[in-house]
Amino acid sequence: MKELLNDGLMFAGFGFTMLVIASFWIPKILGWKEKLLGLTPLMRELFWTYAAYVFASHVFFMILTLGFRDWLLSGTPAAAVMCGFILFWWTVRVYLQFFGFDLAEVKDTRLNRIAKHLLTLLFLYLMIFFAILLWWNLGGAR
Amino acid sequence: MTLDFILFLRLAGLICVGLIVANFVAAPRLGYARNLAGSDKLVRQIFYVHCAYIVFLIAALALLCLGWPELLLEPGMGRVMSGFFALFWASRVVVQLTYYDKMERRKERFWDVFFLIVFLSLAVIFAAATLIER
Repeated sequence: MKELLNDGLMFAGFGFTMLVIASFWIPKILGWKEKLLGLTPLMRELFWTYAAYVFASHVFFMILTLGFRDWLLSGTPAAAVMCGFILFWWTVRVYLQFFGFDLAEVKDTRLNRIAKHLLTLLFLYLMIFFAILLWWNLGGAR
Repeated sequence: MTLDFILFLRLAGLICVGLIVANFVAAPRLGYARNLAGSDKLVRQIFYVHCAYIVFLIAALALLCLGWPELLLEPGMGRVMSGFFALFWASRVVVQLTYYDKMERRKERFWDVFFLIVFLSLAVIFAAATLIER
């Protein structure tokens, strides 16, 4: 089981890496630069600052899953708390993907559709995988 | 030394609680809803979602600092997390000094300096937690 979870963490790390790389294109695809022109300078600055810090959090998750797999599989309360935190993060994101964000404004191109489905799959994978990892760290299947 | 430093991490936790409250005060004071009213729905949604995630992250950090500060002083993962938050808050100082509009900052000079001191204090506490001898 532990080996399987280790492989799952590697895959999650790969997913985070893809998300981090894709994040450089997301503002362009969603046309943030043009759409933010109508805002006051302060609101624009806040928007980009918040986005940058969310991006930094994803980088942190990437480093954690690629570099600290043993710790995430350690079965300690700290590892369980971290898995719970990441699980909550992605559960909210999955909810927003299906019921929150209004993606009608995004151009309906083939590439955008593929990107949207891949991101949805990644978010679902992260939610389910970190739920399993939380269960493992709480003593499940050991 | 570690026991003494736990007090500083608890102080950091209290500062984070203050920042969470400040976020809720800032929304009406800076007129988030009014300023975003004319923008696209998706832009509004992304703004509020990112804002909520940042508040959630700071709340989790506050909880960690107030409840289990010793975890941030553990070798390995504790050090990595402290390092991440040292960078997180240090970069917030840089953002405030170099990116935010100087006119806007001048209009609210007291709060500008106040939050600079707050972010700098957090950066110093977490940097020390990363580098402190165990």
